[in-house]
Amino acid sequence: MAGAFDEAYDVVVIGGGHAGCEAAMAAARMGMNTALYTMNVDLIAQMSCNPAIGGIAKGHIVREIDALGGVMGRVIDRVGIQFRLLNSSRGPAVWSPRAQADKQSYRVEMRRVLEQQERLRIKQAEAVAILRDGGRATGLELRDGRKVQAQAVILTTGTFLNGLIHIGDHRYSAGRSGETPSIPLADSIKSIGFEWGRMKTGTPPRLDSRTINFSVLEEQKGDSRPTPFSFETGAITQPQVSCFITYTNDRVHQIIRDNMSRSPLYSGQIQSIGPRYCPSVEDKVVKFPDKLRHQLFLEPEGLNTNETYVNGLSTSMPSDVQMMLVRAIPGLENAEIIRPGYAIEYDFVQPTELLPTLETKKVEGLYHAGQINGTTGYEEAACQGLMAGINAALKVQGNSSLVLERSQAYIGILIDDLVTKGTNEPYRMFTSRAEFRLHLRIDNADQRLTPLAHRIGLVSEAAFARFRAKQGRMERLAAHLRLAKVEVDSGRIAADQALKRPEVRIESCLDSVPSELREQMSWEEMKSVETSIKYEGYLKQQTAEVEKLRKAESRRIPVDIEYHAIPGLSREMIEKLSRIRPTTIGQASRIPGVTPAALCILHIHLEASSNRKETA
Amino acid sequence: MPTLIEDTIAAISTPLGKSGLGVIRLSGRDSRRIVLSFFSTPRNRLPDRVPVLGNLVEPSTRDVLDQAVVTCFEAPRSFTREDVVEISCHGSPVILKTALGLALAAGARLASPGEFTLRAFLRGRIDLVQAEAIRDLIEAQTLYQAKVAQQQLSGSLSRKVTPAKQTLVELIALLEAGIDFADDDVSVLSEAEIRTRINSVEAGLLPLQSTFAFGKIVNAGLTIALVGRPNVGKSSVFNRLLREERAIVTEFPGTTRDLVAETTQVEGIPVRLVDTAGIRAARDPVEQLGVDRSVEALADADQVLFVVDGSQPWTRLDAEVQTRLEGRTHLFVINKIDLEQQLDEKSLDIRSKAVCRVSARTGEGIEYLRRALFMEYGQLEGYEGLVTNVRHERLIQQALNALEMSRNSLKSSMPHEVILLDLHSALKGLSALTGETTVEDVLGTIFSTFCIGK
Repeated sequence: MAGAFDEAYDVVVIGGGHAGCEAAMAAARMGMNTALYTMNVDLIAQMSCNPAIGGIAKGHIVREIDALGGVMGRVIDRVGIQFRLLNSSRGPAVWSPRAQADKQSYRVEMRRVLEQQERLRIKQAEAVAILRDGGRATGLELRDGRKVQAQAVILTTGTFLNGLIHIGDHRYSAGRSGETPSIPLADSIKSIGFEWGRMKTGTPPRLDSRTINFSVLEEQKGDSRPTPFSFETGAITQPQVSCFITYTNDRVHQIIRDNMSRSPLYSGQIQSIGPRYCPSVEDKVVKFPDKLRHQLFLEPEGLNTNETYVNGLSTSMPSDVQMMLVRAIPGLENAEIIRPGYAIEYDFVQPTELLPTLETKKVEGLYHAGQINGTTGYEEAACQGLMAGINAALKVQGNSSLVLERSQAYIGILIDDLVTKGTNEPYRMFTSRAEFRLHLRIDNADQRLTPLAHRIGLVSEAAFARFRAKQGRMERLAAHLRLAKVEVDSGRIAADQALKRPEVRIESCLDSVPSELREQMSWEEMKSVETSIKYEGYLKQQTAEVEKLRKAESRRIPVDIEYHAIPGLSREMIEKLSRIRPTTIGQASRIPGVTPAALCILHIHLEASSNRKETA
Repeated sequence: MPTLIEDTIAAISTPLGKSGLGVIRLSGRDSRRIVLSFFSTPRNRLPDRVPVLGNLVEPSTRDVLDQAVVTCFEAPRSFTREDVVEISCHGSPVILKTALGLALAAGARLASPGEFTLRAFLRGRIDLVQAEAIRDLIEAQTLYQAKVAQQQLSGSLSRKVTPAKQTLVELIALLEAGIDFADDDVSVLSEAEIRTRINSVEAGLLPLQSTFAFGKIVNAGLTIALVGRPNVGKSSVFNRLLREERAIVTEFPGTTRDLVAETTQVEGIPVRLVDTAGIRAARDPVEQLGVDRSVEALADADQVLFVVDGSQPWTRLDAEVQTRLEGRTHLFVINKIDLEQQLDEKSLDIRSKAVCRVSARTGEGIEYLRRALFMEYGQLEGYEGLVTNVRHERLIQQALNALEMSRNSLKSSMPHEVILLDLHSALKGLSALTGETTVEDVLGTIFSTFCIGK
């Protein structure tokens, strides 16, 4: 067999987007000889939609990626041009960082990071087929006929599989605006027999900032003290810029209504489902006829370009209609469109085809990550890439897999939702998806995940030592606060008790803390201690539930289980369980429609068969 | 959460109805601990296969509910091959229901029909049962669950819960939207608005809660006062209800000069009946004393029986008594229906929730009166209704407690994500009554309420 291949690697990644970059970096850093195949090396880590990273729940994910040794956080910290901590008026559990990126610099910086990585090779070529030997992936075939051998293949194809762009009634095949789609690869993947579907997403027009009248618009500045994404970032040093806010109006809405028949979304040209939380402006006008105006954000795409992203104006109207409606918007009366908005339809594979490691159930050694799994968002893609890279490497090494639990990370929730329930609309993370939201905070992402990443070799000894030192400082501070007394209206009480009151801040509890310790600690570290004390009671309330979940997750179901051979399971339950093939009792319990009685039978069956094995 | 076999189940295992003995059975590893949390016995332990005499005690109040014999069958020498505990107590439906409620409160789960048998099979106790048979059982069970769900969906309880739940889901969606879409054009609810909405959810649940008052009166009992002008036969009615001669009955008005109180059980509920002196202008100080005390007793009573004489026309004294009852709910009892009727009901302005026609002398109508006494406290249902009721009551109570906690968090200016913890917990209780509400449902409400998406 070996002679048939032109090249050989441990892990190959197909696709150089946000998922592909994390996947390739993780595998290479874990010692794998890794190759990343992309159709255009100049467009590695391209931000194809809005020029921003983070946001509510997404910012949490970036922190978790960083805590696990991923690269997204580090890169955005170096090229971010406007940082804002969202939800800062609420409690710390839902604080979430967001940053506008210098789009071009993001791409350049990410490529630099990849190029510096040992054992990682970047290759420009189009993959056309996944090579298999029985039920195992053996590598991939390139457009020119070359064959690449791999122990594990990670597919991160984004919107490229059978991508079809719509602008008005004009449509053409493309992976993204101006890029060719992957059609043969899509066929190769479908021939495996995966359940697949079509999804749709859209982008807004980009404007020339020289033609925007900013003087009439509301300015939105970044935070004066930027919150970085990475635990390793000291300070944000690059210059910061503003975004601007404007609104649609009745004239804009009228133009849209008048031209509705020319929108591919309403003419019947596009059938697939788009995200409800990221509707096109056509949808907004139709579905919310009572809303007099819709908010729009004008976001700079970089420091060295005039291109401006109109966040909120996603549309697939024909270019002439886009021109008219843009110019009906206050401040944009003379605006020039650099590139029009468009909608894109693409193939995705139902993520219920995957194990929680993101390996496909049908083909061993083949992993899917990112938009191919029906998700949307750079962050959602990146974290899947990271987990696929980690699990591919662990598998090649012969080590046991790493699956994060729902009580452990947003990443765990995202993957569990996907592989257990599948999705019919582009899946995005929200904090409301988290059962244990108060626990999954940006300030403790390192505490939750860095020890895991260290164990598998994704966190350097130096970085781990810094993490340990930080934990030590925070523990010392917490110990001091238990002993210190502070004055509150009801008298002198222990500082850690006082901190449980919503109005008491850590700043007023530091008097008796040694100045040597105070000086060593950053504001974030002190805040984190404050937060864990404030939430202590609520977190304890949930401990029993977390424990119950853990217990259910620890009961593993063998991969080769035959559901139809288990006495007592109804046909409906056999079908549901066989489709998802859950790896734990916990996962089985979250499959929609699986009854407690079925779980009970499954559980007993497992217990009985493990007893048989023991006695045998 | 998965319902694993390791949880402990409980059920009433004797047919309900008035019988000398009733049995509650528990199976699972926590059976012993759960029973000992409300069963008080001198040595506080339950040895294997030894019947132990003790008291069933409401843990919070230490009130004794009943005497009982409890037997533990340690695993694997039991019907299900798990630890099984059987509580034998008196066969009153109320006592059984309350005791089952205590077991559930201490951590047991209400067993589904056939679940003890299912466990016995799964643990290999019943080894002759074919796989086919057990599949039938499971499917029957699913059918039963579907039927129960259907009943609950179309049932009056569900209809009553749904509006409150809808208000709660909307509130949750609004607060979640404020958190997840803070950067979108989403309006944030003020503290006052949130409080109003929490109150309105609560207002939708409280009436339901009070229909479960039945459970509450079990321990506390009911005080029932009989009032009426002299010589309408209050004491005879009283005696009939007690089923024994206790009060003094004479032909002369004003015979009952003092209160006669007696505690009895009606349908298993402890009832304190208070027979009052006839309320009228007293002719001597002793009688005056009796009248005064009658007025007091009236004020203290949970339930009032306004007794009139059907064989006599309406009198000024009857009207006087009726005036005193203004604003109080009461039962209108027409006594002496065995005699020729002179009372013209149609001319009367009866403000009672029910009219009972009885003859204390013959006993006619007394059974109806007995039942009418408990009408507002919920009926005494058959087995299924009774069991589901215990569950409903607990779920609604859980929701109300969580709402109370959310209001406290709101008061102490906790952030919305903390308030939401309690609101979600309230929703969990209500969802168990009406069907599950998932994250997707909440998101759906958000996306149809707000135009989300930049």
